[in-house]
Amino acid sequence: MSILIDGSTRILVQGITGGQAQVDTERALRYGARIVAGVTPGRGGENVHGVPVFDTVAHASSAHVIDAAIIYTPPLAVRDATLESIECAVPLIVVTAEGVPVHDVAFIVAAANDAGIRLVGCNTNGIISPGKSRIGGIGGVDPSEMYVPGRIGICSRSGGMSAELARTLKMHGLGVSTCVSMGGDRITGTRMAAFALLFEQDPETDAIVVFGEPGTANEQELAAAIAAKKITKPVVALVAGAFQESYPAGQTFGHAAALVRSAADSASAKKAVLRNAGAVVAETLDDIPQLLRNALAQTVRATVHERTA
Amino acid sequence: MIPVLEDHAKVWLASAGLPVPLGERAITAEAAAAITERLGGESVIKALIPAGRRGKGGAVIRARTPQQAANAAGRLLGATVSGYLVSSVYVEQLVPITSEFYLAFTFDQDGPCVVLSRHGGVDIEASAAPPDATLTTEVIAATRGLRPWQAIDLWHRAGVRGPVLRELGTLTSRLYDCFRHHDAELLEINPLAIDLLGHAVLVGAMLGLDRDAKGRHPEWDNIVDATADFAPRTSREARVAAIDATVPGGECRYVELGGDIGLLVGGGGAGLYQHDRMLGYGGRPANHSVTPPTGSDNRKLKVVIEAIIDNPRARALLVGFNFAQMARADIRVRTLLEVVDEKGIDTAQFPIVIRLFGAGEEEARARVAGRKGIHYLPREASLDDAIRLIVSLAADATATRAS
Repeated sequence: MSILIDGSTRILVQGITGGQAQVDTERALRYGARIVAGVTPGRGGENVHGVPVFDTVAHASSAHVIDAAIIYTPPLAVRDATLESIECAVPLIVVTAEGVPVHDVAFIVAAANDAGIRLVGCNTNGIISPGKSRIGGIGGVDPSEMYVPGRIGICSRSGGMSAELARTLKMHGLGVSTCVSMGGDRITGTRMAAFALLFEQDPETDAIVVFGEPGTANEQELAAAIAAKKITKPVVALVAGAFQESYPAGQTFGHAAALVRSAADSASAKKAVLRNAGAVVAETLDDIPQLLRNALAQTVRATVHERTA
Repeated sequence: MIPVLEDHAKVWLASAGLPVPLGERAITAEAAAAITERLGGESVIKALIPAGRRGKGGAVIRARTPQQAANAAGRLLGATVSGYLVSSVYVEQLVPITSEFYLAFTFDQDGPCVVLSRHGGVDIEASAAPPDATLTTEVIAATRGLRPWQAIDLWHRAGVRGPVLRELGTLTSRLYDCFRHHDAELLEINPLAIDLLGHAVLVGAMLGLDRDAKGRHPEWDNIVDATADFAPRTSREARVAAIDATVPGGECRYVELGGDIGLLVGGGGAGLYQHDRMLGYGGRPANHSVTPPTGSDNRKLKVVIEAIIDNPRARALLVGFNFAQMARADIRVRTLLEVVDEKGIDTAQFPIVIRLFGAGEEEARARVAGRKGIHYLPREASLDDAIRLIVSLAADATATRAS
C-alpha cells in the first residue's frame, strides 16, 4: 500500500495539451501511472501520448471513472479548473501552479473542504508512490535516481527537498512508500498533519519524514498530533530557515509562506515544538537515515517489550 | 505584496461608495496649504509611505491653519520615516470624531481573516504588533464572504453596543467585498471613526495587493511603478530589481547579507536549507538570490550572477541546486562563465563550487573542465558536501589574500 495514489488510481490531466503537462504525462505513463483522460477546452477528440482529450471534466468523467485529477492550467485559470473537478466530485485534486492569487486559493480550498474532496497544493510538485504511480513533475526524468520503493513516508513543503530527502534515503539503502510534495504556499488544500495521519494509517509505512519551513502552523499542528498520540509512528523532521532569525524581520528568502510573522512561526520554534512532542529533529539531510534507523529500532524494542510484558 | 499608498487606496474605497474624508496629495508645502484652505482651513497631513504605524512615528500631523499645514508638510517632505523617503503627503479633511475602532482584513493559513477591535487609533499601534486580547479575529468562509449580520456579531463580540452596530456591520461586509474585489492581501482601516452625526468614516486606510493577481488587474500598472523605488537597495540590488520588473519570465531576486560567500541557489526549500547549513559549517552568505528556471532567455540569471560577483565582499560562489531541479544545467553554467570571463575573474582566487544536475549536465561539465578553482561536484555529492567544500575554499581564499 501507499497513500493517496497507487497503480490502480485512474488519473485525469486538466490542461493536458500544455507543454509541462505533456512532458509530465509522458513520463508518468512510462512510470506506470494510469492516466485515463485529459481535458483541454476546444481540443476534445485529440489525444496526447495516447490519452484521449475531452472538452470538459464532465465529458471525461462520463467516459471514464476518475479517481484523481491533476491541474496544469496557468495560475489565473486554476480557480475555475479546480471548481470544475470539484463539481464532478473527483475525490483527489492536485494543483501544480505556483502564484495562484491568494483569494482564489482560499476559495478552492474552502470549496473542496465543503465538498469533502481532498485538495493537494497549490504549488505542488506532485505525489509519487515509488514503483506504482506518480502524479505531477515529481521524480523528473528518471524517478529511480531518487525514489525507490520502501517503507518511509515523506511529506515536504518543498518539491526540491522531496527529491533530496528521497535521494538521501536511497543512498543509505532506504526506500519510500509515498512522497508528497504538499506545496509551499501559505494556504494549502491539505496540511502536513493530515498527510502524517494518512501515513499513520498506512500499514506499509513504518516511519515519516517531514520537511518544514518558517511561516504557517503546519509543523505545530503535526507536533500536536504527535503529542496527542494520533501519530505513533516515528517522525523525523528537518526544518530549514533558522538562518532568517539572524536577519531583519519581514524579509522573505524562500517560498511565499516562509515569512516569519511572529516568533512562534520561526524554524527554531518549530523544531522545539516538534522535539517536545516526541519527533526526532534532524539538523542535516545526511543525518536522517541513521536517525530513522535508531527510531525504528526503538519502536521494535518497544513493541517487543509490550509483547513480553 | 504591492503596497498601495493611502491617496490611491482612498480613491478606490470612495469609488466603491464607501465613506472616506476628502483629501488630496501634495508634493510641496505650498500645495499642502492651498489644499487645507480648500478643505476649510484645517487638515491632517500624512506622509505617503508604504508602511503602517505612522501615527506613532510622527508621520501624521494635525494642522489647525493652512500655515500649520505648510509647516507640517515641510517637515515631512524629504524626511525619512520607517526607512522610506517621504516624497509626497496626503492632505485630508479633519473629521471631528466621537470614537475610533480598528478593522483589518488579512490572510492566514485557514483563509481570509477579519481582525477588529473597539479600540482604534494610534493606541492600537503599539498593541497590534503582537495581537493581544483586545483584538477579535475570525476566519471568513471564502465561498460565502462576510455577511452584514456576521460582522454585527463580531463587533458585538468585540464589545460594541447600540445603534452603531448596524452601520459597522454593513460597512465591514462591504469592505470585505472591496478587499476581495481588488485582490488585496491586506486592508487595514485605522481608525474606523464615528463622526459627530454617528456615521462611520474610514479615516486611515492601508491597502496591500496580491502580486500574483497582477495579470487580471491592468489598472495596477501605475501603482507598481509608483512604489517600486521605495525600498532602499544597493546599486546591485537595484539592477536586479529593475530587470525583474522589466523582463518577463519567473521572478528573480537578490539581497545582500554581509557575508563573503555568494549564493546562487534554488529559491525554495533547498535555498533555505543551504543557507542554514552554510552558517552551521561556519560560512557567511554574501547574499540571498532567486533565479527563474531559465529557458532560452538568460537575462535575469545573468544580472543576478553579475550582482553576486560584483559584490565587493564576495570571495567565493556556491551554485547549489536540488537534485531534481528543472532548469538546463548548460545554460546556467554557460551564463556563469560568460560573466566570469567578461569581468576577468581569476577563479583560482575566487573559487566556485557547482552542484547542478539535470538536462544539459554533460555539456555544462565539459565547459568548466580544466578551469582552475571551479569544482563541479559528482552526482553522488550531497548538498552538505557542496557547502562544506565552499566554506573551506572561501576560508583558504581569504587566508591567501591576507598573507
